[in-house]
Amino acid sequence: MKSKYLHAIIFILLLNPLWSWSQIQVEPPINQPVTGVVLDAKTNEPIIGVTIQEASTDRGTITDIDGRFMLTVQNPDPVLIFRYTGYTAVEIKLDGRTELEVKMSEADFLIDEIVVVGYGIQKKSDLTGAVSTVKGKDISRVATNSVEQALQGKVSGVYVAPSSGAPGAGAVIRIRGTGTLNNANPLFVIDGMITYDPSLVNPQDVESVEVLKDASAAAIYGSRGANGVIIITTKKGIPRDRALISCTAYFGTQQITKKVALLNASEFASAYNDLRGQAYYPDPSALGEGTDWQDEIFRMAPTSNYSIGASGGSDKYSYSFSGNYFSQDGVVKNSHFDRLTLRLNAEYKLTPTIILGHNLAHSNVREDAAPDVVGSAYRMQPVFAARDSTGDFSDPTFFGLAVANPAADLFYKSNHHFTGTRLFGNLYVDVNLFKDFTFRSNLGIDRLSKKSRFFEPKFEVSASQRNLNDRLSVSTGNGTEWIWEQTLTFDHTWNDHHLTVLAGYTAEERKFEELGGSRENFPGTAEELLFLSAGNDTTQMNFQNAGDEALTSNIYRINYSFRNRYLLTLSWRTDRSSRFTKDNRTGNFPSGSIGWNMTEESFIKDIAWLDRLKIRGSFGILGNQAASSTYPSTGAVTSGLYGIFGPDESLNQGATLVSLANANLKWETSRQTDIGIEVAIFGGAIELELDWYNRLTYDIIASVPIPDYVGSQDDPVVNTAKVNNQGWDIAASYRKSGKLSYNLGVILSPVKNEVIKLAEGRNEIFSAFLQGEPATHTVVGLPIGSFYGYKVAGIFQSQEEVDQSPKFGGEKAGDVRYQDTNGDGKLSGDDRVYLGSPIPTLSYSMTAGLEWNGIDFNADVVGASGNKVFNAKETFRFATYNWEKHVVDRWTPENHSLTEPRITNGGNNYRVSDRFLEDGSFIRLRSITLGYSLPQTILSKASIGRLRFYVTGLNVWTKQEYSGYSPEFANGSNSYEVGLDFGGYPIWKSWQGGVEIQF
Amino acid sequence: MNKQSINAQIRGRVTFILSSFFVLIFISGCSDDFLERKPKGKLTFDTFFETQDHAIWATNAVYQNFRSWQMCAFPWIGITDIISDDSDKGSSPNDALYVLELDDFSFNSTNTAFQQAWEGHYQTIFRANLAIINIPDIDMDATLRERLVGENKFLRAYCYLRLVQWFGDLPLITRPLESDEYYTQTRIPVAEIYNFIEQDLLDAIQVLPEKSDYPPADLGRATKGAARGMLANLYMVKHDFAKGVEYSEAVIQSGEYSLLTRYADNFLPVGEQGAESIFEIGAVAVNAPVAGPGATPYNMIQGVRGVPNLGWGFNRPSDDLISHYESGDPRRQATIIYEGEVLPDGSTIVQHNADVLNARYNQKAWVPAHAGLQDNGPGNIRILRYADILLLAAEAYNEIDNSSKALEYLNIVRARARGTNTFILKDVTDTDKNVLREKIYAERRSELAMEEHRWFDLARWGRIADVMGPLQPGFVATKHTLLPIPQSEIDLSGGAIHQNDEY
Repeated sequence: MKSKYLHAIIFILLLNPLWSWSQIQVEPPINQPVTGVVLDAKTNEPIIGVTIQEASTDRGTITDIDGRFMLTVQNPDPVLIFRYTGYTAVEIKLDGRTELEVKMSEADFLIDEIVVVGYGIQKKSDLTGAVSTVKGKDISRVATNSVEQALQGKVSGVYVAPSSGAPGAGAVIRIRGTGTLNNANPLFVIDGMITYDPSLVNPQDVESVEVLKDASAAAIYGSRGANGVIIITTKKGIPRDRALISCTAYFGTQQITKKVALLNASEFASAYNDLRGQAYYPDPSALGEGTDWQDEIFRMAPTSNYSIGASGGSDKYSYSFSGNYFSQDGVVKNSHFDRLTLRLNAEYKLTPTIILGHNLAHSNVREDAAPDVVGSAYRMQPVFAARDSTGDFSDPTFFGLAVANPAADLFYKSNHHFTGTRLFGNLYVDVNLFKDFTFRSNLGIDRLSKKSRFFEPKFEVSASQRNLNDRLSVSTGNGTEWIWEQTLTFDHTWNDHHLTVLAGYTAEERKFEELGGSRENFPGTAEELLFLSAGNDTTQMNFQNAGDEALTSNIYRINYSFRNRYLLTLSWRTDRSSRFTKDNRTGNFPSGSIGWNMTEESFIKDIAWLDRLKIRGSFGILGNQAASSTYPSTGAVTSGLYGIFGPDESLNQGATLVSLANANLKWETSRQTDIGIEVAIFGGAIELELDWYNRLTYDIIASVPIPDYVGSQDDPVVNTAKVNNQGWDIAASYRKSGKLSYNLGVILSPVKNEVIKLAEGRNEIFSAFLQGEPATHTVVGLPIGSFYGYKVAGIFQSQEEVDQSPKFGGEKAGDVRYQDTNGDGKLSGDDRVYLGSPIPTLSYSMTAGLEWNGIDFNADVVGASGNKVFNAKETFRFATYNWEKHVVDRWTPENHSLTEPRITNGGNNYRVSDRFLEDGSFIRLRSITLGYSLPQTILSKASIGRLRFYVTGLNVWTKQEYSGYSPEFANGSNSYEVGLDFGGYPIWKSWQGGVEIQF
Repeated sequence: MNKQSINAQIRGRVTFILSSFFVLIFISGCSDDFLERKPKGKLTFDTFFETQDHAIWATNAVYQNFRSWQMCAFPWIGITDIISDDSDKGSSPNDALYVLELDDFSFNSTNTAFQQAWEGHYQTIFRANLAIINIPDIDMDATLRERLVGENKFLRAYCYLRLVQWFGDLPLITRPLESDEYYTQTRIPVAEIYNFIEQDLLDAIQVLPEKSDYPPADLGRATKGAARGMLANLYMVKHDFAKGVEYSEAVIQSGEYSLLTRYADNFLPVGEQGAESIFEIGAVAVNAPVAGPGATPYNMIQGVRGVPNLGWGFNRPSDDLISHYESGDPRRQATIIYEGEVLPDGSTIVQHNADVLNARYNQKAWVPAHAGLQDNGPGNIRILRYADILLLAAEAYNEIDNSSKALEYLNIVRARARGTNTFILKDVTDTDKNVLREKIYAERRSELAMEEHRWFDLARWGRIADVMGPLQPGFVATKHTLLPIPQSEIDLSGGAIHQNDEY
């Protein structure tokens, strides 16, 4: 469909005779004003912000700062409903009264929490799928820029790790294990708009986050639901007399959680002398500590955040506005991120039956990227200073090859900036057609525009660290995505039966384009000269990339319940994707689930202490279209394969098909089963939710290895592999309310990941080659990306022992003795074995909260265990890099170490082996907060609703075995290499102080 | 509520539902168009091989793959020079252990060098096959069409000639395979591979122009001379010496080629596509921070490691090679860069590097300062030189008992190497066939050392075991004369492809 048709469609919709059935005839209202006050039943203090609605009308209001309200009722025999978050709702029949005093009690237990699900909302008691909810206050409590990071430890079955410590970074999220060899990221739905990148959401704007974990909940998202779905709902305005205004601010500093133990200058000199077998450094101890390169690149970095918000409304409209500025300097010098987000969510009641609304956010992001110096600081020899005696950057080429001097890289390569603006949100219209029928048309948009600029001046530190020509590279990118959804909902109750039916049609399109270029030889380095036109035009290069895709879908869902006891949900989505050819384009994703609210049964209803007992089970089929590239089925001709001919050696265009395409590619599919039980006892004081799941992903898109003689550069991608994830989601909590309120929560998420099948003819995929040897293999029967290598049997203590043992050849006393695992009397690649799994078998978290007399305390602990980490950075030794601290215990003729080999610079002792494999378990105090809210009695005199001061610590305490910065690091999206630590941007700890104020 | 307004209401709602319904039908109807998306800025196979330009581009893309890592970097130098007696791995001891395995014969069939070399050559064959199958159907200049097919046949034959010498029997892929043929190929006997190469080269000779008949802008494309020279090479491999004479003589008699006065010039920019060059793969550096579109990794991997930092320092000329040269042979200096030596362009002195044991470098892969960083290697990869053909001719003549012609060609090569220094590299005068054979073999090593010919020569002469056995304790005569078929090919074919003996 061409876009002009689309415009036509929108036009048609707008012209629709929406207006003709908006004039619903009602009997004249009585218009009786009612006033009153709402008080806390326990403290007798007024409650601000209580929503009051006249039953079966759309009239409502909200209590003011003194807890007072005024509402004009319209029914002859009106009933008022009072609702307040955390309190039990109260219904009051007026019986002619016009003045009320209402007391509300804090609810221990909200049995009928509303839960956001795909294309709708449901009462928690009606849910038959596995959906976990995280409230906005639990998100904003973790002082981070990223909603994803704030989810860590909050939801059972969801593994979250920071994707990097770089400022502005997001997180890697795996819902119920790693279900594919490809893109395993969940789908995000923000106020109805679908995306894989939720980075623009300000955590303070979040009302709630729902995680759809099982097939029943996620199947409505069809081809994108297989990795789970995370629904983020932002705050909406509530009708009230005057706006609720809130401001928050916090400030803090961050630093790295730990340093890696490396040799100091004298230890390095001594090791180097041993390596060379001569006293290259006559007196190592004279060199002392030398330079700690980690100190040269890391810093204490400030972070700050300011938010303002205003929300309110009337019976005709509601709005919520917020502005947020977040600024973070990175713990690596010269790295920085800031983001300004503005959001306006509003709803307008155009007529009694038509509501128009939007949730729109706009963000401006700036990022200053530091060069990658973490690795060079790790390798750089401590005997060098950052600058030499003349003040120039030290040229460390002394050892034949130079590590790039990190201080010089920071100085010369930091003029690297990214800026972006993004408009994200949706516009919708709800039409109440007849009784029970609601039609919604929702238009979602995501428009992204970004720029990058990198200027590298001319410099020379060493032969391998120099830039002979100054160069400016710039690029701009634009992405546009829209989704248009039409849904019709029928909702009706007959006696004991409640039925909801949803049917809809959606269409969406995504496009991006990138344009960039570079030039050299600029007349200067002043900011105003850093535009391409100032450079030498004979050095110019340029590029342009673009892509697009489209999807159309039909969605259907039926929810049925009988006496709230027996629940049934059936859903179906049909997706048609542009990624696949016509014959394979359509995928059907059905699911079904049942639930039994046992507490509604007469034989259980009488058990007073049992508040909820529900059993549910679901089964369904989901897809993962993100597993494929955008055009996986088209045989694209590769150009730029130049032939070089002629005396002037010009580039002659070359192009051909280099790889075989697979026109038969289709969806990657996953089949999920879930059985869950929900229990709440003692008035909700203790809650337990337990789910068992099995998730089998099949038709996984994998490059099927074909023999190389076929000659295809890439193996054709086919639907072949199978991966299974089986596990438990366990969440338990205890809460007690009163003068002293406290709560405790525990979440356990054990999961077992197993490759069931790879491709025909191949049962192994090797990856992560270090020194030419694979460090991981993905093999049937083991977790994805399992570590693979030699086992260390010990250290050769004598030449005699070397002579008598299996060896590779060339080993000497003091070298690592590898295990001849196959017992053939020699060492070869055949002796490599499975060494461990990079995937935690258990991730867990604990939460504790306490409130007393305005003091609040909260702590979140997260941890993982059962995984290994491969310290890959230690195995790279292309020159005489610095060594890790354990080398001081090395084997020498005098010191016969049993664990630490003699000093070598790579070679035999650095083969991929369990010598570099470390325990990846950790337990971390993710956040700890202590706050104090001033008493209401003082504040109300100053017309302040709420004033709270707090301090928060993030990651301030960690217990880990791993010698690197953290066992939590991300390695791109390659599932085969997730456990290899190549030494990226480390995560940090921080302390922050903040204030929240509400008017 | 009066009846009229209810009717109006119902009418409105029905209108709405109907119009919404039509909108949906409309979208569904367009759905197929809406969902039809093509890669941007790229031709697709549906629209390729339709114009003369496409034919030229598809052919150029075959040349391009000779600059790929698989065809000119570790796998290439690894199983030609490093595996032979000419050179050692080089670089720092720990760097690229799999290349070390090639040097000391500790490799097995999973060594990635074999897989990469195999893959690189078959990928080139894939591209050539596509061109050979599709170009004849293009409506274009007929002479050009024939020439382009000839170029592709030459390049395909050359790939097979390398492969068959390394691995023996081979899967013979002559067109793009269908998906049900991926796993069913078997190894075709060497003799049939030879026949296929022979036919391709004969076809190519028919249609390819001589070097001088190409317009200057096409210098570097496969020529009649290159195809004849390659065919002479094939006949020498087959020990068909009469044909070896015939085709090497055809190259010599064509008058298209001559030796450069200075031996060392062959490997400097000045010698690129020069009078002595019969075939070489063109390369050029453009100013790019990463590997540019015309460059190779060939110069970088062999460049001086340390100061000046020109590369990684792989392919270290061996002690055995150094001791091979006749005393005073200037080709030794022209072949090897030593520490302390001034680089050929006089730019600087090579410093001692503590990380490399007894560093030495392949001077024939050295390139002067150029645009871009190291990985923009601009050096053309020399494949076939006139001196090579002269020595092949000498070898062939000797085998058919024509020692005078053999001596004539041998001594032309020696005379050029000698230059004006009459005290070295005296003319050979031996006429005894066996003695002369040894002299020609020795000359060939001196002349062509570090140009990736040595392993093929040893194989052709049946001397791999005689030469490598004494040098490498890991060498097994019954095993290592053929290299292992990459293990992945054995595994993937489910046994349809069998392994060479003892691997």
